[in-house]
Amino acid sequence: MSLKDLLTPFTAWKNVFEDSYVVKDPFNDRPGADRYRGFHKNDISECIGCGTCEEICENKAIDLVPVEGIDTKDGDSGLRPRVDYGRCCWCALCVDVCTTNSLSLSNEYTWVSEDPEDFRFIPGVDKKPWDDNEKGWKKPEGEYNFYEPERVHMEHLEPEARDNSFIEMVKGFSKEQAQKEADRCVECGICVATCPAHMGIPEYIKAVRQDDIEQGFKILYETNPLPEICGRICTHKCETVCSVGHNGDPLSIRWLKRYIADQVDSEDYKKVLGTENIEKNDRKVAIIGAGPAGLSAAHYLALAGYNCTIFEKLPEAGGMMRYGIPEYRLPYDQLDKDINYIKSLGVEIKYNTSVGKDILLNDLKREYDAVFAGTGLHLGRSTRIPGTDHEQVYMAADLLREISLGNEIPLAEKIVVIGGGNVAMDITRSIARLQNKKYGKVDVTATSLESEDIMPADREEVVEAREEKAIVDPGWGPEKIEIEEGKLKGLHVKKCLSVFDEAGRFSPTFDEENHKFFPADMIVESIGQGADLSYISDDIRDNIEFNERGRMVVNEYFQSKAEWLFVGGDIIQGPDVIHGIANGHQAARGIDKYLNGDLKYKSE
Amino acid sequence: MDKIIKDLTSRFKVTDYIQQRPNMAYVTVQKELAISLITHMRDIEGFTHFVLLTAVDWIEDNLFQLTYILNSPDKKVDLGIRVMIDRENPTMDSAHHLWQQVATYQRELKEMFGIDFPGSPRVDESFILEGWDDIPPYRRDFDTLKYAEETYFPRDGRGSNDPAEYMKKKLYPDEEK
Repeated sequence: MSLKDLLTPFTAWKNVFEDSYVVKDPFNDRPGADRYRGFHKNDISECIGCGTCEEICENKAIDLVPVEGIDTKDGDSGLRPRVDYGRCCWCALCVDVCTTNSLSLSNEYTWVSEDPEDFRFIPGVDKKPWDDNEKGWKKPEGEYNFYEPERVHMEHLEPEARDNSFIEMVKGFSKEQAQKEADRCVECGICVATCPAHMGIPEYIKAVRQDDIEQGFKILYETNPLPEICGRICTHKCETVCSVGHNGDPLSIRWLKRYIADQVDSEDYKKVLGTENIEKNDRKVAIIGAGPAGLSAAHYLALAGYNCTIFEKLPEAGGMMRYGIPEYRLPYDQLDKDINYIKSLGVEIKYNTSVGKDILLNDLKREYDAVFAGTGLHLGRSTRIPGTDHEQVYMAADLLREISLGNEIPLAEKIVVIGGGNVAMDITRSIARLQNKKYGKVDVTATSLESEDIMPADREEVVEAREEKAIVDPGWGPEKIEIEEGKLKGLHVKKCLSVFDEAGRFSPTFDEENHKFFPADMIVESIGQGADLSYISDDIRDNIEFNERGRMVVNEYFQSKAEWLFVGGDIIQGPDVIHGIANGHQAARGIDKYLNGDLKYKSE
Repeated sequence: MDKIIKDLTSRFKVTDYIQQRPNMAYVTVQKELAISLITHMRDIEGFTHFVLLTAVDWIEDNLFQLTYILNSPDKKVDLGIRVMIDRENPTMDSAHHLWQQVATYQRELKEMFGIDFPGSPRVDESFILEGWDDIPPYRRDFDTLKYAEETYFPRDGRGSNDPAEYMKKKLYPDEEK
């Protein structure tokens, strides 16, 4: 033993006043690293229960379960993830894929309980000590994404290329674009409930991704017999709840639907859909109106073997889709592609036949086994302000119909449109095109009661109208129309402060000091449409229930109290195409039940 | 750090130099030169501390990446040495003679990725997966979920809901397809 060996232990004494490098209280004080992946946290108010966390979990550690106090509603399944820590491997894929960024991991990794069941809980619902822990693993911002947050750009015709004609402005996806867009879908299915027709959206998007167009096409027709149309002009409520839209652009669901329908040639429809041989029965159903509701009912009834005859007042089928929506949004050949297929199933359409005039509803009742009425809202509503009886004041619905019929419409050089919905934008943009063509310049102003942020029109409609040089000046309440020596001079308006009261009822308030005058030679009213139900004769009317707002009351199969009469579409729900389609489909199921003796207006 | 890398570049064919942070850098080197480079770093450059050895499965490129991390206690810097090896026939020269604990890492990689290190002590013995009869589980073509479903059973009380189905049940239960 050397001297050094004896002295060395004492050198340790020099460290006696140094700070300790070991954890002083290892039982209580051993924090995880800042980005340690510990127990889950979930921001319950942000989470929408889309289930992508469950889907990605390699260990099947996550279940989606109902939680008391969280309601199932549009855009929220009402389910929340429950984690089984007997399986969780703390990989944090669930956090990285979370569409709302509600899910994260705390850096807490020590937790003792004697009950194994405690290690299966719903983060954020079952309160835990680490719920307010700021540290841990969050999805790194801007570093990587499991799905592309931005949608594939859809090409539109430039304003200069479209503002004096009615050619279609949206170009449609190529195969590569469609597959790239479809690849963004996380297949959660949150959108399905919001779609009025409950289309199989994740399934048909999957078909696009897998390039199985026939399968996608079949899925479309299960719930929607007008895919070319809806692929273009659907109000796409589905996209408003898309989970991917919480941190990025929602899926372009509408354009993907259009992509599928565009890929199938008319002559292949029956082969792809397997409808070459339909077994017919001997029962007859009359349908009033060849709009989306009537066509949808006819389609599904024809598939079930019924002989359907549609009575259409106008010279061609489509209803508002043809006579309301301008051609630049929905070209007539695409409209005809959908309609011709329905006709090819044996559906007969009697054009220029007005029920109530050319044939009576009672005749239909007598000659057919059941009747479906989808007559829509075609009567323009007036603001009824002073001056609306002037001959240069028109209704948007009437003008749009005339344009579709190929007739020339009265067209002044200076026009004001009253209204802020999609129909108002349709007539404004149609007028802009016609003015541009006729006068080489655009002078049309759309003004609505609603301010810009609550205008009912789709945002893109407003943006595109402005691109086409129309003026959109929202937030004004019409007061009166100025008429001088019988000549229309313009529209007086006052500032609108609010449109709805606290209970959400229509009750506009105005700033009486703030007025404006829109000079004009012609005014178009577009504040909504009403139904013309004059075809329902009094004896039938007495047998139908109406609610306090004058709407017909129907059961869940759109059957009226007069049990042979089913009613759907805009006169019941909407107004939009997709509700009409859904109503028509459901009414077709109802008629089938009714004719088999399985349906009463009120079930006992 | 720059000086070390410059010296390395002059002696060995290294590529993909990445300065991760001031005291940490990565280089990639050919498989055949890797052990002599590591030996050089240990014996000449003072990287005497072996930190770890790990692997990544680049299945799309048909490669495994090995990463040796060395530390120089004097210079207080880390150097990561990456080696890409063929995924079809994954073998690598052993480095257990440089640090004996390397053998443990190599045994782990043999088990989890199927990368062989001939001559490494006990390299063929089970590491943690006793009785494993599937492909090595860290390989990306190993289907963890399928394995879990086939091997384990769900605890009592487990059960999930499909969001779309559940929403139908809650919001529009009567509507048939």
